[in-house]
This record gives sequence, structure tokens and C-alpha cells, in this order.
Amino acid sequence: MSDPKRGDAPPLAPALAALTGPSGYFEDFQVGQKMAHARAATVGEVENGWMSKLVMNTAQAHWNEHYLRGGPLGEGRVVFGLITASMVIGLTSQDTAENALAEVSLDELRFLAPVHHGDTLRAFTEVVGTQDDPAHPDAGRVRFHHWGLTQDDRVVFEGERTVLIKRRSHWSR
Amino acid sequence: MTATGDGFDQSSFPLVTHGHHYEDFSDGQVLVHHWGRTITESDNVAFSTATCNWNPMHLNAEFAEAHGHPDVVVNPMLVLCTAVGLSVEDLSEAGGPFLGVDHANFHRSVHPGDTITATSTVLSRRESVSRPGTGIVTWHTEVHNQRGQLVLDYRRTNLVARRAR
Repeated sequence: MSDPKRGDAPPLAPALAALTGPSGYFEDFQVGQKMAHARAATVGEVENGWMSKLVMNTAQAHWNEHYLRGGPLGEGRVVFGLITASMVIGLTSQDTAENALAEVSLDELRFLAPVHHGDTLRAFTEVVGTQDDPAHPDAGRVRFHHWGLTQDDRVVFEGERTVLIKRRSHWSR
Repeated sequence: MTATGDGFDQSSFPLVTHGHHYEDFSDGQVLVHHWGRTITESDNVAFSTATCNWNPMHLNAEFAEAHGHPDVVVNPMLVLCTAVGLSVEDLSEAGGPFLGVDHANFHRSVHPGDTITATSTVLSRRESVSRPGTGIVTWHTEVHNQRGQLVLDYRRTNLVARRAR
């Protein structure tokens, strides 16, 4: 990655450092650690109808209430899979990226069942890997496996995500 | 034509179609997707808040600048969603569920005011055994900014409808 590197710059000014929580540094993540994230979110007009159009998704199944009627995906608008993924990752973000420097990669994203307006997404995470990042000695990479479930316990999404996260040893003095 | 639309002959208006079918793809084919998109501060705020991603790197400019960025960092999920959105008409609008994304790498940050464009190459195509009338196509998509720098690339796989026979 070519994102800015801090080099030997001092840690954040106290007023900025105080804005993020005391946990969620690289040292806090252990392989095998599992998290059920506390907040869930219902998908509707704003999250799917508007966001699908905002991101230029021209497939009307995502924003035409009457398009799929009678089809195999169910009634009403089906949520754009990457909106589901974005919401699941968003719901994990305070617990996985509070002290992140950058999002690095995504892999094995799978959309397992249709999500519709009115469904509520819940997020679950397991830490599946941690490693040093030679280009960023002040941080390390954490690989997460995420799952997205609906209110009725259907697994609708899963995928892996790697995040570059600050080391407490460097950033929290 | 009456006020209620009685007598309006819709069948005399041919449908203007968009998108490609399975038969339209060939290995190695390159598709330059339409439009491009300048990603604005409002896009990033709307998307990050709507998806419950309140991380200060995306929403607090002072915080992002203290980490060496010129402005907030656009939520990478917004960059990915927009790239896929720009490619939908060419790749998947003709129908079929989204199966997956693999090997998505965020190579550099996007900041408000940056413009992204997307181009895809067909990596593989095969007929679906379990779903007659459809094929499975995998593309490699590259996303560049206005300076020609690669910001993201990924592989995407979709079920794609065959032409009706």
C-alpha cells in the first residue's frame, strides 16, 4: 500500500488520541477470538434503496418494488449484496477497526441468501489471523471472518477482511 | 388516449434493453465500464453513516489529517460498491444472483473529489450444471483514480442469464 506512513512522527495529539476507544489495538486481537456485535440494523429505503442508486447500481431488482414479483428471489426489493456486506462490516467497525490505519483487503465474500427491505442484519466475527506488516512497524494486520445473519437466524453473508491496526506499543503511550 | 390510460398501446413501444448475456462474454474480453464517478464528501458521509461505520478515519477530517491524509479517507466499502455499481450494466444486469468477491485489494486511499473508473476482464466462463439457462462468469476488475493510479482490484463471480432460445 502507498498510504501515508508515519515514520518516527510522534503519536497523535492527546485531544485526537482521546477520540477512539482504549481497546482494539493490534495486541488485543488473538486468533480464535469470537465477537457477537451488540448493534443490529434494519435495511430499508436509506440503506439499500438509496445506497444502491448512490453507488450507480443499475440493477432495478434493488430499487423497483414491483420488478421481482412472482420470481424466485421473493417479493419486493432484494438488497444489493455488497450493501449487506458493507452493513455487516459497518456493524463490526467499532470492535474491529476503532484503531485501524487502513482497510487492506477482502476475500471470499459470499452472498448466501437474499435479504429484503425490512430484514435486520446482525454481525458476528472470528479473528482468523494476525501478522506483522514489515512496511508498517507501528501496526499489524488482523484477518477477520465475518458473518451476517438476519433477525430469523438465516446466514445471508460471510467473508474475510484484513485490516491494518495500530500497535498499542507505538500509538498509546 | 384517455386520462386513465385506457387504450394506450404499450406493445407498440419496443423495449430499449441494456446489458449483456452469457453468450456475449469471451475469455480475455475487456470491458470499459460506463460513466465513472467522482466520490464526494456527501457520498462518503451518507454511505458511512447509513452502514453504521462511524470510524473517524472516514468522518473526522482532523483525525484523518493527523494520520497523514489530505482529508477524510473515503470508506473503502463505498469505493468497492461504486466500482461494482458502475460495472453492473455490462456484467450482471441481465440477471442472476451475485455469487462472490475474491482477492479484493485496496491499493491506495480515495479522498473526496477523487474520480474512479472501472474496467473488467473476463477470466472464465462456464455453463451452470445446476441451473439450466444460466452461466457462471468470473471477471477481474481494476479501479483507477483520475491520476491513473490503481486504487482497487478484485475478482467477481456472478450467475449470468443466457439468451432466451
